[in-house]
Amino acid sequence: MRPVALAALGLLILLACGALLLIQGRGLADRQQAALPVLEIAVAGLGLTDLCLATEARYTRHPAVSDPLAPFMSHPGSIEHFPTGSFWAPPPPYRRQP
Amino acid sequence: MNRALAKQLNLVDFALSSLWRRRWKNGAVLLVFAGVIFLISSFHLVTTALTATTQRVLAPAPDIVIQKMTAGRQESIPLAYQEKLTGLFGIKKVVPRIWGYYFDEVREANFTVIGVDPEQMPLAEHLGQVLARGHFPAAPANAAAPEAEIAPAALGSLVSEALELEHGAFFSLFRPDLSLKTLQVSGLFRPESDLLTADLIALHIGEARDLFQVPAGLATDLCVYVYNPAEINNLARRIAEALPDSRVLTREQVARTYQAVFGWRSGFAAVCLLAALAAFAILAWDKASGLSPEERREVAVLKIVGWETPDILALRSWEALLVAGFAFLLGLLLAYIHVVYFAAGLFRPVMVGWSVIHPHFTLIPQLEAQDVLLLFSLTVLPYLAATVIPTWRCASVPAEDALSG
Repeated sequence: MRPVALAALGLLILLACGALLLIQGRGLADRQQAALPVLEIAVAGLGLTDLCLATEARYTRHPAVSDPLAPFMSHPGSIEHFPTGSFWAPPPPYRRQP
Repeated sequence: MNRALAKQLNLVDFALSSLWRRRWKNGAVLLVFAGVIFLISSFHLVTTALTATTQRVLAPAPDIVIQKMTAGRQESIPLAYQEKLTGLFGIKKVVPRIWGYYFDEVREANFTVIGVDPEQMPLAEHLGQVLARGHFPAAPANAAAPEAEIAPAALGSLVSEALELEHGAFFSLFRPDLSLKTLQVSGLFRPESDLLTADLIALHIGEARDLFQVPAGLATDLCVYVYNPAEINNLARRIAEALPDSRVLTREQVARTYQAVFGWRSGFAAVCLLAALAAFAILAWDKASGLSPEERREVAVLKIVGWETPDILALRSWEALLVAGFAFLLGLLLAYIHVVYFAAGLFRPVMVGWSVIHPHFTLIPQLEAQDVLLLFSLTVLPYLAATVIPTWRCASVPAEDALSG
């Protein structure tokens, strides 16, 4: 078999694996979509504003309704020490007005 | 067969043979390159999946949330503020909530305790559908003295697991004055809603007030629902004017927060990207700094036997494209498997931190053509450029000079 045919075969196998994964992923997504009405009821009925991803600190459990500077509020000079805080995007740098 | 196509196929054959001759070096480059693409793609897929999930799931969140601020910190908001909003046209209702955190010292776990009045919340009559067993806590029979009663509570699946509580079981939580409040599990949230409710202890607002000993006339925040969603921003501005000591958050701002949290600029992304880009820079530097004497000799020999400069460029382009193409596909596939089937296990320690309670959820990234193109142009195109340019410089030198020097 020519090397080019072997390479094409390898490429096809990878593409086929990708297609299979995407098809199965679509099935999983459909299943998640089917559970959406239940989640909507939970969000509306309890007035939720945040996902339960990390529960270690209030500003990572409820980032939407807590201050982004909350980790620095414990005392002056306090530093952020929770690992999930590293997911926060840093604020734009302060620029002195001319 | 078309001659041009036959020529290109022969070139690919030759490129593959050339790659195979240096298989260990090329194999290492392919693996490192695939690793870089895996890392960048994994992070991209995780952030897009989380952002999409947030947008989808949190769509029915309250239109506006009002918090009272004192000295830069959030404080309990007086219920009297509701009266100040009565004159604002367009507000459907203002609903107080009492919520906060309860730290279980034995398990070192943080629970979220949320107290609402189900009669006032939208869709609350359907809350039973979110429960696997039991019912949502109703109002205490003796609303004037809830401390005298056993409070019903609906628990998130991981709370019931951590506290080892079944439906109907009794348990106690400490009030701030260390007196005990007795609760009974009236319902258990479905595990399917873990992404929202895994750490929740849901109570009636009266019971939550008693548990946290929040004085009458205060609440944690106010949820505002409006008639016309197009008026949310306008109403938020008017509320902020009416209540100058408050912070007013709209649903759009909540969504924006998550876009910022999971954005490319987040601290963790920066660390990942820096590591990946450093690896890639070393790879590109190695390629761009020039060809090895052996590679230069090979180019010279090819020119002596009659190859033209464009042929040599085409050969090297095919080599680079084959390595980069396979590395890209491999990295992307592994990233998808990592995110979907292993729940982004490599990032999980950072995503959950020291959380004792964290839900098991499946992230399904919607891989769009634009994502693939973005990742391709971030990784493969620079590699191609870094490979072809030194070859062009070498191939444009006369063969005898290349051989001698």
